[in-house]
Amino acid sequence: MSDATYSGAGKGRSSLTTADARTAKRNAAEKRFRFYGLAAIGAGMFFLVVLLTAIVSNGIGAFQQTFIEVPVYLDEQALDPNGNRDPADMRKVSTFGYNPLIQTALYQQVRDAGIETSYEDAGDMKALLSASAAAEVRDWVLENPGRIGDTVTFELLASSRVDGYLKDRVSRDSIVNDRNIDAGHLDLVDALQADGALHKSFNPGFIFGSDASESRAEQAGLGVSMLGSLFMMLVVLVLALPIGVAASIYLEEFAPKNRITDIIEVNISNLAAVPSIVFGILGLAAFIQFAHLPQSAPLVGGLVLTLMTLPTIIISTRASLKAVPPSIRDAALGVGASKMQATFHHVLPLAMPGILTGTIIGLAQALGETAPLLLIGMVGYIATNYPDGIVSGFMAPNSAMPAQIYEWAKRADPAYYERAWGGIIILLVFLLIMNVIAVVLRRKFERRW
Amino acid sequence: MDATNIKRDDPMYDAPLRKTELDVQQNKIAARDVQVYYGDTHAIKDVSVDILDKTVTAFIGPSGCGKSTFLRTLNRMNDTIDICRVEGQISIDGDDIYDKRVDPVQLRAKVGMVFQKPNPFPKSIYDNVAYGPRIHGLARNKAELDEIVEKALRRGAIWNEVKDRLHAPGTGLSGGQQQRLCIARAVATEPEVLLMDEPCSALDPIATAQVEELIDELRQDYSVVIVTHSMQQAARVSQKTAFFHLGNLVEYGETSQIFTNPVDPRTESYITGRIG
Repeated sequence: MSDATYSGAGKGRSSLTTADARTAKRNAAEKRFRFYGLAAIGAGMFFLVVLLTAIVSNGIGAFQQTFIEVPVYLDEQALDPNGNRDPADMRKVSTFGYNPLIQTALYQQVRDAGIETSYEDAGDMKALLSASAAAEVRDWVLENPGRIGDTVTFELLASSRVDGYLKDRVSRDSIVNDRNIDAGHLDLVDALQADGALHKSFNPGFIFGSDASESRAEQAGLGVSMLGSLFMMLVVLVLALPIGVAASIYLEEFAPKNRITDIIEVNISNLAAVPSIVFGILGLAAFIQFAHLPQSAPLVGGLVLTLMTLPTIIISTRASLKAVPPSIRDAALGVGASKMQATFHHVLPLAMPGILTGTIIGLAQALGETAPLLLIGMVGYIATNYPDGIVSGFMAPNSAMPAQIYEWAKRADPAYYERAWGGIIILLVFLLIMNVIAVVLRRKFERRW
Repeated sequence: MDATNIKRDDPMYDAPLRKTELDVQQNKIAARDVQVYYGDTHAIKDVSVDILDKTVTAFIGPSGCGKSTFLRTLNRMNDTIDICRVEGQISIDGDDIYDKRVDPVQLRAKVGMVFQKPNPFPKSIYDNVAYGPRIHGLARNKAELDEIVEKALRRGAIWNEVKDRLHAPGTGLSGGQQQRLCIARAVATEPEVLLMDEPCSALDPIATAQVEELIDELRQDYSVVIVTHSMQQAARVSQKTAFFHLGNLVEYGETSQIFTNPVDPRTESYITGRIG
């Protein structure tokens, strides 16, 4: 080896301006490696762009919904037969009492606009409107009983078929065998759109609303399951952060290094790799079957996710405690601080950015977790209303954002497909926000000196 | 450098008779048959040494000879190392510091320590110095604490450089200033013994000179024990020198004598540069 090098160098003919064979080979290897690296990054970026494009192009439609402006005459005869505006009496009129008014109003509107149609009966046009329209009007009337007798213009949700037609999901060909809508309805939609009464606009109901039944995709929203996720995250934060940080500080700073702590350490690392569905079945057995906590409750979901998040928080906290230079501990002990004072006055503040980042990453992971929720009953058509208060927020059946998305994705109506993608956009926005918070907190707590 | 020429006017040097007297009266730390083990490694073997009050004692020796380890047994900093075990007796003012009843926290308030690398807390200069007095409750109010901080910083010979920026971060100072800040931090708790583990090894010659001057001043009030790699430094600042080799205390005596007329051949080899 050294002989070969010597003979090469000993020739004395090599010039610095021309690379010898070895150098050329090394340079080529480096060039190849750089290319592989760039290619890997390029591939990663490409897939990211494809993913984001797919999500946005599929999901952005969920934020827009088709509405029909209908001037409804709120007939006192139908809505408040006793005429005393007593809320209790008015509640007795169900949505069936409102439906004819709305259908007549829509029929009248079509007639007034001079749109030619073959439909002779007001009831024939109900396919244009969402089944939720009557409930919408009823809620408004119960809140504003004084307006009975007036003609009020409502922005009513169009049915999901009409919405799909405006979003090119439904076409005249695709509805041939559809019992919910006819070609004549689509003619009406075109005419109403030209007239300006029917239009697409931003749909706050998708972000703030509750889930709806299978047949009312246009009404379904993510709001209630967002709240379910929020309550779960509260449980996770309140339990996992103190338990995780206390366990890490003890293990890292105080515990003797022996066989038992070694076993604990290995097991914590293993727990981080346990499939989340295992935590789900553990939660089912421990919290629901044994402790008799309510099914589908965010409290139970939060407890399960706490179990799942703890290893993540402990590992990252221990790593950041370990990263604090030992000289700081020596300095504190050297001036006569006790071990606890050294830890809490000096080590913990320095480890804070890492701990917070780890916690938020753990929370983000928990926020996106679906599998354990399957087993404790948080996936399905669960909540149609906002919880009444804090307690029912924790205890009443609810879903969570990823579980809701999963639920939508598996429903038959293609209108739900768009909503599943839209839900993913919202979920990603939340994860992005949490990661930004992690970065900001890290910056804020990081001591550059 | 000729060690005998240093500090001729020092009372420590003038009369051999006073030496025995000092040994009896000013014996601050007495170590007897100290053994230190790191797991199975026998790091310190049978070390017995008497460290005098108001004296600078230097520990010299090649790397890995155990001088830092022995220094750290004097304020039980080795307690933080799980596998470290200390045997034998070390007493300060007659109290055995490895007695079960001794709280290492109290001991460390009495025996301050300065480390090899300047390690100020990532806090303000003021808070760095005030931390010790605060946790030991040495000040009743802000004014007293201010006074303690000022006194400590003056002792650390850094007051004039930092008095206008007490609330600036301590880590923003230069290396030499940081080390003097650490010395100020160590003296702020009013210790009786000050242990210094190679305090100048990370400093440039000018900062080293400042710290050495400071060590000489600290001798007025404290018993200072300094570990150093530099024999010149040991000769410059110390009155007593202990030479460690492979975990043994080879020779201990007056600095002037160790450097001019060592008894043990190993000491001679080391100071003349043949081993180490």
